[in-house]
Parts: sequence; structure tokens; C-alpha cells
Amino acid sequence: MAFISPALLLLLAMSVFPLLWALYLSFTDYSATRGGPANFIGFGNYTAILTSAQVHQRALTTLIYVVGAVALQTVLGFGIAYLISRRTHGRGALTTLFLVPMMLSPVVVGLFWRFMLDAQFGVVNSMLGSLGLGQVEWLTRQRTALLSLIVVDTWQWTPFIMLIALAGLTAVPKYLYEAASIDRASEWFRFRTITLPLVWPLLLIAVMFRGIEAFRLFDLVYILTSGGPGVSTETLSFHVYKVAFLGFNTGTASAYGILMVLVVIVLTQLYLRYLNKLKEG
Amino acid sequence: MLLVATTLTACGGGEDDDAKVSAPKAPATIPELTKDPLTLSFIWFDWPPAHALEDFANAEYKKERPNATIKVNTVPNANWHDAMFTQFAAHKTDFDIAILDSQHIGEAVTNGNILDITDFVKQNIDVAAYNPYLLAAYGQFPQAETGKRDENASLYGLPLLGDTWTMIYRKDLIGDKPPQTWDEMISAAARCQADNPGVSGLAFHQANGSDAAAVTYNTVNGIYGGNLWDSKTRKIDGVINDAAGQEAMDVLVNKMKPLTAKGSGNWFIDEVNAAVAQGKACIAFNWIAASGGLLDPKQSTLGTTRKQILDKLGFATLPSQKTNLVPLGGMGMHVSAYSSKANQAEALNFMKWFERADIQKKWAAAGGVPSRTDALQSPEFLNAGPFNQVYTDSVPRMRDMWNVPEYARLVNIENTNVNAALNGAKKPKDALDDIAKEQQGVLDSSGRKGGGGL
Repeated sequence: MAFISPALLLLLAMSVFPLLWALYLSFTDYSATRGGPANFIGFGNYTAILTSAQVHQRALTTLIYVVGAVALQTVLGFGIAYLISRRTHGRGALTTLFLVPMMLSPVVVGLFWRFMLDAQFGVVNSMLGSLGLGQVEWLTRQRTALLSLIVVDTWQWTPFIMLIALAGLTAVPKYLYEAASIDRASEWFRFRTITLPLVWPLLLIAVMFRGIEAFRLFDLVYILTSGGPGVSTETLSFHVYKVAFLGFNTGTASAYGILMVLVVIVLTQLYLRYLNKLKEG
Repeated sequence: MLLVATTLTACGGGEDDDAKVSAPKAPATIPELTKDPLTLSFIWFDWPPAHALEDFANAEYKKERPNATIKVNTVPNANWHDAMFTQFAAHKTDFDIAILDSQHIGEAVTNGNILDITDFVKQNIDVAAYNPYLLAAYGQFPQAETGKRDENASLYGLPLLGDTWTMIYRKDLIGDKPPQTWDEMISAAARCQADNPGVSGLAFHQANGSDAAAVTYNTVNGIYGGNLWDSKTRKIDGVINDAAGQEAMDVLVNKMKPLTAKGSGNWFIDEVNAAVAQGKACIAFNWIAASGGLLDPKQSTLGTTRKQILDKLGFATLPSQKTNLVPLGGMGMHVSAYSSKANQAEALNFMKWFERADIQKKWAAAGGVPSRTDALQSPEFLNAGPFNQVYTDSVPRMRDMWNVPEYARLVNIENTNVNAALNGAKKPKDALDDIAKEQQGVLDSSGRKGGGGL
């Protein structure tokens, strides 16, 4: 116990205390800048958030983003892992190369994609121009701005899915494939009945991690679009930042944060139950 | 995010029993200054005047106070408000002098974050040397309805850098004479764009962050005779979206926006300067204090010398239309209430020094924009840049925004909605009505318990 107590104290001070403090503040009208006492207002903040049309809009934006980005990353990540796993030569070098985007800071990724997607001077539009296609306003139009965020996030985080899928693919016992080839099973049959069922549980865990991360998206929005045009790419995390630091409505922001944590916990629990059932099955 | 917000509150505000509703007072006379080495820290956003201030102050102030070093901490423009006010919230600042936008003063004063320097100003500053509007804008709270300084009102800051928009126009493309009215300007930009493929008619701020798009709308609103609000009755709904406001939004979105470069909906100071420097805009609008780089041949494709660039670029005051209002920019110096006593004394001494007539002229020569009338009309200032005369001529035409504690939320609402209208995410009328409704909601709910701020 004495051995772990410093780490435990640090955890309590840095994580548990702020969380409990946030929980307390979420039931008050406290503002960090205005100071003064924190008046208890019950579930006032929670009611305001849950009935706010602005929050509903941000939730929808976040949902579209999470589903779009994670789905795309899963398909691409698994596809790349499948292709790499079939190679015998250069597999390590290829894997390392694909992992580079994941190792970069999201701020760096955001900044260089911002330059690349610039409608006037960006390399993406320049390439489109050389193909005879018109300019696209990637970051300043409602639909393309959200699509751009999904594409950039996919560029950065597909390697994460790929890495986990690759671990699953290389762990599939070879004798299963050998038995299948003796039975002259087709490639598609082998994939459908051996590869996918064995990799699937691991892939679902990767999807869960990515889903949680994507739900908290802040940095790419901040750098690439500032939530714009208008508020069309403003995610829940970006919105709670504005509530917390533009208006310094600390009580409201705390309730907002608690609700976001609760959503993640509940969804993750449901997801884990499904995973356990899958395992039992 | 949650952890940051709550840790801030745990470290800061929670320790006070009584709500601070007014700023603590600075002494009328400067306390005895320390002889020990001391660093006087400022906080500002990252732009050329911030670096100019650090260089200038270290070169000049050190002559009188050799033990003092000036450090100007900079943050990205979009983080500027948050960087200052999160520290204020923690009741501990790593800066002694906050360079606040005029609209930030209300929030800082009502939260007790900056010193009330009224008595200090009375004893040490010649207030008659300033245009009363500038002194009020950068230091007084609440702001007088006339916009001019009320002699009986409290002061919380002194001018550091004056600013307004200048019109930058291509003399080689639209002629030497700048357009005189907004309608003429739009026509000239349209003609220039049609005659010069690849060059857009206009370039101006449209970005979603900071106050970029909001200032653009406010400028056009003022020029077309609109008002942002009725400060007496605290009414926004029905004022900003009246007929004049609607006309201004229509002009901005339907007449000006089509003359801008494709994808310029996220442009701010740097992007507008880049478009001008690369010869991609016929007419542009930008803050004067940020325009110095346009004359640097290393950054421009318009010429290999300053003279060649100036043969092509002209700088003029904004055209008028129904009124001749121009946006007030610039910032004041404000002493952090959480700075040590020694540093507060040094900060007051610096402010007294900085506002001297001879120092203001030197600041002008170093690239700053002064606020004292004698410095504004001095050859040191007028000869320091081709746009400086524009500033001097614009001072009597300035209009500021709302100077209230809810500023940050008000400007966010306006910025996101104007940006949405400029980028086709909202119809102009809907955007304006939403601004009016949401801003009114913020003003009305200020002080209401719970649920506000979404």
C-alpha cells in the first residue's frame, strides 16, 4: 500500500477531486470569474442543457462525425491490415510507414491539413485543378467542412484500427487456413468463416476506443474550422469549451461535462455487454 | 476540458466568500520602486505590434529603469480572451499588465480582475492631451452613451495602441483616387475583378474565430446607418435587425461577398494581407496596426522595393455611405489585480512613462499607433507609415461595440452567425434575426441563476 500511495494520491488530486468538484458545481450557478458563493439550483443546469436546441444540434453534428469517421477508419484500417498481413516481405516497414500519421500531434495535423485544404493556395485544389476539376471550398462550406474533418481524422487514426486489426490477423492460427485449403475453400469463404469471426472481437474493441476518442473531438475542429461555417462543425466538446471559457458559466459547463461523461459510460457499458455476449456465443 | 475548468475553479474563485463586484483601487501616487531586477510581463496576442512593443520598451524604458525587463507574452488571437480570463479566474496571473480589448474591460472590472486607476490618472496623466473618445474606449467602464469620457466615471486602463480599419486599394488597377462612398467602392471592386482575371474585387475579414466576421458586419452596419443596440434600454432585438441592419447584411452578403476570393470565408488579418501582398485583391480592408508587413518587399510580389510597392498600393480612410463611422480597434493597458505589489508599482510607473508626449512620439516612430492628440498629429507618427494619416483622420469617426461584461458571448453569437451568412450556411435575414434574438437572450439572462450561457 505504501508503495502505491504516491500514485494513488496523485490520481485522487488530479482526477477524482476535480471530477467530484465538477459534480458539485454542476448543481450550482457558480461562475469561475464572477466569484461569489455557488448557489444550489438542483437540476437546473441539466434541464437547460437537455432541452436546449443548440445542444441537440451539436449532438447531431457529433453523431454524424463519430459514425462517419469511425466507420471509414474501420473499413480502411481493416482493409490495409488485411493487405499487409498477406505480404511476407516488407511488412514491418509498411506497418511503420502507415503508423506515422498517428504519431503526429493533432495540432500539427490540423495545421498542415488546413494549408493543404485551403481553397486558394492548397495542394488539394491544385491537384483537382490539374485534373480539370473545379475548386472546392473544403473548410468554408457546410457539407464539405464536416467531410473534411472526417477525412483528416481518418487520415490520422486509420493506422490505429490497422494496428489492432493486424495484431488480430497475425494471431489467426495457420492450421485453420491449411485445413480450408485442403478442403479447397474459396478465398471469400476463408475470409468470411475464419478471418473475420476471429478478428471481429478485437476490431470491435478498437472501434470502441476510436468512438470514445471521436466523441471528444476538439483539437481538429479548433484548428481547421473553428466550428464553422457558422456552427455547422461545432461538436459537443467545442461547444462546452465555449460555454466554459467564453461565458465562464462554470456550473453549466460542469453539468455539460458530466453529461458527456455519462453518455460515454452508458454507451460503453452497452457496447461491452454486446462484446461479452459475442465472446460467450 | 472538464478537469481544466474545475481545477481552475478549485484553485481560484471558490476561496472568496464575497462576490467581487468592483475593481480594487490603485494608489494615486506611484509607490516606491524596487531596485532589484524585475520583469514586467504583458499579455497580448501574437502580431507585429506585440513584438514591436517588447523591443521598444526594452530599448527605451531600460534607460530610466535599468533593472526592469519587459516581456510581452503572446498567444494566438483566438486564445487571447481565454488566456487572460482563465488566469483571472484562478486569481493568479503570470502577467502584470493585461492588454485588454476595449470590450473586455467590463468583464474584468465587474470580476475585480484589474485595478481601478482613476486616482492614479488624476495625479499622473494629462487627460486633456487625448481625444476623449479614445480615453473612454480604452479605459472607462461603464462606457458613456456619448462614447466620450465622463469626467466623473472611473478609469481602469490607458491607451496602448490605437487602431481602425484602413482601405487598401490598388492604384495601378482602380486609379489613384480612392472611392468616396461604399457604393462606389463596390462598383470599383466589381469592375476591377472583371478586368483582371485571377484578382478578386474585395478582401476582408470573414473568419469564425475571435471578432473577425463580427467587426466586418459592424462596420457595414455603421456605414449604412444601423445600430448594434440601444444601450439605454439594453435592447438588441429590433435594433440590430431593423431596416438599416437588414440593408447592411444584404450589402455584405449579396454585394460584397460575391467579389471575394472563393474559399475566403475563413480569412482574417494574415490571409487578407497575403492576398494584397500577392496581388490577388483590388481593394482590401485591414487593421492599420497589422498593415506594416505589406510594405516589406520580402513578403510582397508587388515590387522589389518599398517605393515600387507604394506605387501600386494606396491607403485611405473607409468610404462613407449613410454615415461615416469606422470601427474602433486597438487596446489599452490594464494592471492585473493579482500581480505583486512591486510589479503593480512598476506597471504604474511604466504607464506614466509610456503616456508621456515624447515617449508617445517615439512609440509612433517605432511602429506603434499612439493615442495622444499631439503624437497623432506629429511628424514622427505621420511620416512613419503611409497609413498613419488614415488613422489620424479616422479618430473622430470611430464607433466601438458593446462594452459590457457579457461581451465574449455577444461577439461569439455575432461572429458565428455572420460567418454562417457569408458562407451560405444561413440566409442573411435569418442570421441577423438569430443574432438579435440570441444576443438579447444573453443580455436578459445575465444575472439569472442557472442554465444561462448555452
